[in-house]
Amino acid sequence: MKVLLIGDGARENSLAFSIAKSGRYQLYAFSSYVNPGIKENVDKTNGKYFVGDILSKDEVKRVISQVSPDFGVIGPEDPLFNGAADAFREEGIPVVGPSSKASTIEKSKVWMRNLMWKYNIPGRLRYRAFNNLADAAKFVEEYGGSIAIKPSEQVGGKGVKVVADIQAYLSQEKRRAASRSVDEIGRLVKDEVKIIIEEKVDGPEYTLHVLTDGRSFLPLPLAQDYKHAYQDGIGPETGGMGSISGPGYTLPFIDEDEYKATFEIVKQTAEAIKKETGDEYVGFISGQMMLTELWGPTVIEFYSRLGDPEASAIVPRITSDFGEILELAATGKLNKAKLEVDPRPSIVRAIAPLGYPLNRDLAKGKEISLDLPKMKEIGCQAFFGAISLYGGKLITTGSRALELVAIDDTYEGAVKKLDLCTSLVSSNTKLIYRTDIGRTIEEQVEKAEIVRYSYKDRIKRGVLGASMDWSPNGGLW
Amino acid sequence: MAGIVGVLAFDKVWNVSKFLYYALIGLQHRGYSSSGVVLLNGEFYKHREDKSPEDMRLNGEGWAGIGYTGKERAYPLVYEDVAVVVDGILKNPEALRRLPKDPEKTLSELEGAFSLVALTREGQMIAYRDESGLKPLTLGGFGFDMAIVASENVAINVIGGEARREISPGEMIIVDKYYIDSKRLKEPRRNYCAIDYVYQSRIDGKINERDIYALRVRIGEQLAKERPIQGDTVIGVPDTALPFAVGYSRATGIPIDLGFTRTGSPIRTMLAQDSFLKVVGVQLKLNVVKSAVFGKRVILIDDSMVTGLTLKNTVMSLRRAGAKEVHVLIGSPKLVSHCPYGVDVPKSSDLIAANLSDEEIAKVIGANSIYWLSLKGLYEVIGINTICVGCMVGRYPKVM
Repeated sequence: MKVLLIGDGARENSLAFSIAKSGRYQLYAFSSYVNPGIKENVDKTNGKYFVGDILSKDEVKRVISQVSPDFGVIGPEDPLFNGAADAFREEGIPVVGPSSKASTIEKSKVWMRNLMWKYNIPGRLRYRAFNNLADAAKFVEEYGGSIAIKPSEQVGGKGVKVVADIQAYLSQEKRRAASRSVDEIGRLVKDEVKIIIEEKVDGPEYTLHVLTDGRSFLPLPLAQDYKHAYQDGIGPETGGMGSISGPGYTLPFIDEDEYKATFEIVKQTAEAIKKETGDEYVGFISGQMMLTELWGPTVIEFYSRLGDPEASAIVPRITSDFGEILELAATGKLNKAKLEVDPRPSIVRAIAPLGYPLNRDLAKGKEISLDLPKMKEIGCQAFFGAISLYGGKLITTGSRALELVAIDDTYEGAVKKLDLCTSLVSSNTKLIYRTDIGRTIEEQVEKAEIVRYSYKDRIKRGVLGASMDWSPNGGLW
Repeated sequence: MAGIVGVLAFDKVWNVSKFLYYALIGLQHRGYSSSGVVLLNGEFYKHREDKSPEDMRLNGEGWAGIGYTGKERAYPLVYEDVAVVVDGILKNPEALRRLPKDPEKTLSELEGAFSLVALTREGQMIAYRDESGLKPLTLGGFGFDMAIVASENVAINVIGGEARREISPGEMIIVDKYYIDSKRLKEPRRNYCAIDYVYQSRIDGKINERDIYALRVRIGEQLAKERPIQGDTVIGVPDTALPFAVGYSRATGIPIDLGFTRTGSPIRTMLAQDSFLKVVGVQLKLNVVKSAVFGKRVILIDDSMVTGLTLKNTVMSLRRAGAKEVHVLIGSPKLVSHCPYGVDVPKSSDLIAANLSDEEIAKVIGANSIYWLSLKGLYEVIGINTICVGCMVGRYPKVM
């Protein structure tokens, strides 16, 4: 059977790995550059590798007609927004990936929040949408509380976000910086609604990925993504410098009930999307969650795909045939899927060239080499991200180049493996990575316990999810 | 004694001067007679005054900066390519000129007992805590926007940031716009300052691997174990001795009372330079609450005793308000020797406990009895046997 995989990052590398591992499929891939990890799996299964503009629906159609696959898998969100999944379905080919319309759940934060309120889905946050920046700035001035300012839709792949956590005495500084950033963010947004302002919440974050064929829902083990660029959770926002998953289906700081509640939220959202768009939701729908004092499980945003680097933490833990599960999802037979998971925890450590994420030009065009056999010996798996095979060399393309994964009986054990494997990566530039991921479990357990006291108290008082702000001129919000 | 801080924003839209200002206010309990900052905005901008951070009139702008509050007027140091603030004693500060060129080598060659935060003209923030660990230093962040280094985590909290972890003794941190590096330059010796635990740090702090409030309550409980007294009320001298009183009361079942209230802003009596100020300081600072002590046998707890002058005044004011008995407990072992590392503990000849017997001291201060926490008790409560207790025993972990 032929599978066509769209995408080019470490997430797609992990998907390519599991499809090839199945032994039942010939892997074809369509990327914007030659990812050496994807290529390896394509070659192994005697498939074919296509390079081109994965953001163009026509290009995707052209590759489909050349391959005529039995089913497709789409990794990243941007091709989904541009109708890559529709391209498959228009040709009558089953695919893992929602329609362009259904992927609006990720593309537009306003649409997402609106949907959650309309369908009364738990874990929703209060928000205001603004068509112009001046009004947004005025609102920021008026409501002194803690808020998150975000672009109303995804810009440049990453969700730029500014948080005005306003200490009374520092409010001027914080607001000034916030309003400057509002200008910056707003300029990039093409939609009429430019800015969305949400109430700000706090707590440990985690992601639940759910695979669905529109009727059955298959939740994967939880994962947690680490957004700060630098060691110890400091520094600018990135797509994720690493992730953890396990042990089992939850994380040490999320309990069984919270896992179930989160699954319920994601399921209800997929059903609401169907009602709203008329499209069956087929593919991954992933809740990027936060455990908060307001709701317990709370939605920060939704992905219409697997998270990256969360995928690299989850996929290697799957011991049953994940390629087959993807096929069953694409073809509407997900109820037959059997998911088996290695109970041991995993850690992903992303490695990026110096300059990521603030100066992509500095991060581009650098050479990287790694000792794969030795890594394997130690027990690490390497997925290739923003790294292109060029003239026999591995050349960085400006983002996170590698994701190293280790599974072990304990987080400590996995971290130690990663430390060893990281030393087997070298480059002609400085490499940026975080060694603290997987070493802060205890702190997160405490953080979760603190918010748990509050949200359970809210349940007792019957005010779960209830919050409001007031200002003398603006009234209640 | 000093508080130091450094803030670096990853995006130049930020002006960090107010962040430094409020962080320094959060550190002024560590010393406050001189305060200053250096801001970086292409060039260094330095501002220093003989005032507490609160009273400093700060105007500069910059996307990165460092700040100092303490008694040394020399800080912040500004050289051509680097500006530095230091908590502790640094014997060869001139060497710091070479810091931007070779941070590792320069830091390894520094002599003294200190923590420091430096800012290079190129825009790197370099922090180092010497291997003794005598001076605290904590690393934190503010959202996706800033990296912060400060003597105590409370300074990071007051500006809305999150303290991430303590910098280990012997560890260097380099914060660049594009990366953060950390490296252990020397083996940590964990000679944490006992004074930081007992009264120097704020109770909302987590310093030297311990939560300060919880530790001080345990000291009070330890005092109750070592010295149970028949009394009617437990009174702590505000503010540092209050947790001791909580612990003592909890362990003995004797109720706690608030025996004093404050006039004016909290001036640290021990930090006041001359003895006249100390007397005025204590009288201005503490007014006794008569109804809390009238007709009662008072167990009075304080954090330390230097010359005994402060305590004498305190005991006297309790008696004038109608205390029947005043038993004094001190939440730290006797101070008997100077501190070579910059903590304001005077030389032995000025320390009452180094010169007089317990009976004599009780007579001097007018107390029915006096008792100090035992050294053994202190070790037991803290649970780290490498801590520095130099001012309590006259033996020091690091030769200066």
